[in-house]
Amino acid sequence: MRRRGLVAWLNPRGRRVGYWAFVLHRLTGLGLVLYLIIHLWVLNMLSQGPERWNDFVELAKSPLFLVLDVILLFGILFHGLNGIRVAFVGMGIGADQHERLFWAVSLIGALLLLLGAWGFFTV
Amino acid sequence: MAEQKNVQFRVFRYKQGDQAPHYDTFNVPINERTTVLEALQAIRRDQDSTLILRHSCHHASCGTCGMRVNGREVLACVTNVMELDTPVVTVEPLENAPLVADLVVDMGPFYDTFTQAHMPLIRQSEFLPESEVAEGVPYHMRFENCIECGLCVSACPVVSTDPEYLGPAALAAAWRVVEEPRGEDPEQVFAWVDTEHGCWRCHVAMECSEVCPSNVNPGHNIMALRHQLTKRKLSALFG
Amino acid sequence: MANYHVVIVGGGATGSALAHDLTLRGVRVTLVERGEVTSGTTGRHHGLLHSGARYAVKDQESAKECIEENMILRHIAPGSFELNDGLFVAITEEDLAYYDDFMEGCAVCGIPTRTLTREEALRLEPNLNPEVKLAVQVPDGTMDAMRLPLRFLATAKHNGAVIKPFTEVLSFLMEGKTVTGVHVRDHVTGKEYDIGADIVVNAAGPWSEKIARMAGVDVPVQPSPGVLVAVWGRLNNMVINRLHRSGDGDIIVPQRGLSVIGTSSWVVDDPDKLDVPEEHIQLMYEKGAEMIPLVKHSKMRAAWSAARPLIGSRGATTGRELSRTFKCFDHADEGVEGFVTITGGKATTARGMAETTADVVVKKLGLDAPCRTREVVLLPHTAYYV
Repeated sequence: MRRRGLVAWLNPRGRRVGYWAFVLHRLTGLGLVLYLIIHLWVLNMLSQGPERWNDFVELAKSPLFLVLDVILLFGILFHGLNGIRVAFVGMGIGADQHERLFWAVSLIGALLLLLGAWGFFTV
Repeated sequence: MAEQKNVQFRVFRYKQGDQAPHYDTFNVPINERTTVLEALQAIRRDQDSTLILRHSCHHASCGTCGMRVNGREVLACVTNVMELDTPVVTVEPLENAPLVADLVVDMGPFYDTFTQAHMPLIRQSEFLPESEVAEGVPYHMRFENCIECGLCVSACPVVSTDPEYLGPAALAAAWRVVEEPRGEDPEQVFAWVDTEHGCWRCHVAMECSEVCPSNVNPGHNIMALRHQLTKRKLSALFG
Repeated sequence: MANYHVVIVGGGATGSALAHDLTLRGVRVTLVERGEVTSGTTGRHHGLLHSGARYAVKDQESAKECIEENMILRHIAPGSFELNDGLFVAITEEDLAYYDDFMEGCAVCGIPTRTLTREEALRLEPNLNPEVKLAVQVPDGTMDAMRLPLRFLATAKHNGAVIKPFTEVLSFLMEGKTVTGVHVRDHVTGKEYDIGADIVVNAAGPWSEKIARMAGVDVPVQPSPGVLVAVWGRLNNMVINRLHRSGDGDIIVPQRGLSVIGTSSWVVDDPDKLDVPEEHIQLMYEKGAEMIPLVKHSKMRAAWSAARPLIGSRGATTGRELSRTFKCFDHADEGVEGFVTITGGKATTARGMAETTADVVVKKLGLDAPCRTREVVLLPHTAYYV
């Protein structure tokens, strides 16, 4: 059977916006799950006393970490906003405009991302 | 005067019994009208008579010449070679169907699922609605848009990973039965698609509608099914 | 009853209908086709379910065959046709002059007609050239060129026939001057093997001559291609024909969301080498627009050629001089036993061609088995694959 499984998702040739939205939605979903695990593990460090927590807070203020925060924000915004798009289209509302909807949520997401990134690096 | 040039075709080859598939390269003279199908026929006629491919109507009505050209699902008979504008044209069989040999896939599994929708071949023609119907003719009828080409099934990322997913072609056919029952039972259709591997398994990649050569737009039809089912469930919930 | 084995060479409309007919008569059938079934001429034809009116003046034998088969097909393949009838439209004074002969011819051939005024015609088909003078309604229809033969194959297959696409006949097996089978290559595996047969039937359409030569006989088949053009948009629901002597580009057949204009005619030697001459494409647009002006600005979906298998003398130049009827050759008449050719004809008459051929075949086998294909309703085309 020529069912190539997950490898087929990565075939780029000729695929359009809806397809990439789907793939990215899956990847951000997995990414967010991974983040959640890491987040819980970090919180767990609270139980190990104030020094461990202070070490972590120092790390969290470093530029590299802030960049990772922006990436995380991208993941949240993409998955959230595209998720709303998928929810509507998936109930048959706006199916004809699904590509335009994607660009619309991308625009909103991009603005919020810039706002958030600015916030991370300045506040 | 027809402009002529030589284009390289990289064609997927496989015969049953081979260890693994390989690609053969052919040089084919083409002009501005040549289609991928015509080029493949020329290869078969002039260079390698063992090359097999499916084709029949040559005008996007039978659905048999579905294949992947430069990675994308198309009907070879209406794909213009010059418009592809690549130095090498790669031709491969459809995905998500068992490979028979070369560019030929087995459409048996496609039809196993598709026929469960029980969609009749003839539908009401929505064209020229203002025209009168001739005497003796019951109504203006036409063939359904779906030409059963399998491009949508090949392009769907969920079909790639879920062997039980009903798939865009069958679900689109199901929607057509709901839209225009023609003596079939829409309730049965709703029951068939309202399952984990039915219309809810779609993740809105919409690649099926993109590649459909015949205005079926399966992705939109799946959403229409979901829309109806959502309304039913909500009114059942709230009375 | 001994189980006789017939091998049919050619998986087009004729071979498919014959496989069905012989299987119903209790004969074991193997059909071999070098490509996908219907990938020769059959899949590419105009898709017209002929009322026969087109031939009612000049080729009445063919016209009668058409109307008879038209009615039979509606009965045995229900749900496989766009049955909106057809119109023969008179656009010029010259066309009008053809009307009397046309009506007389249809009456002689048993083709039902209804004459419509200009206004009535335009109410039925608003896209017609407003110059239309009158129209005649006939029982034309649209058939799906591939899916109809598939119904014959599906039924034959389910009744025990073996259908082998991608199986190419390379040579015949002979014992002296008797054909005993075929030597084939299976293009799926690349392997060659023999298939023995009591009778081999040549149903290879325009390739009939090539196949016949393998048995050392000649059949007078002249491949005669024509160009067809499909444009986007369903401009008419009824088949639109020009009311005149058969010519180029004088039929527009609706198919799903497309309109197919055809056709033209010339002769070639090699049915595998079919051009699509640019002038013919332009001619289709021009002639089509004379009946439906919107054609002129319609975007092309596809342009292709298909080769008719015309029977006739080698002296033909355009193909239009040759009859559109069919002929069955029992090559025992030329000293070659076990070999029959069926060729000529049209997609609409495939079942009738098969009946004639099957009658010849069972007689050669010494069987008493009447034809049942007029009554047996065919399985749906999807049954071919499941």
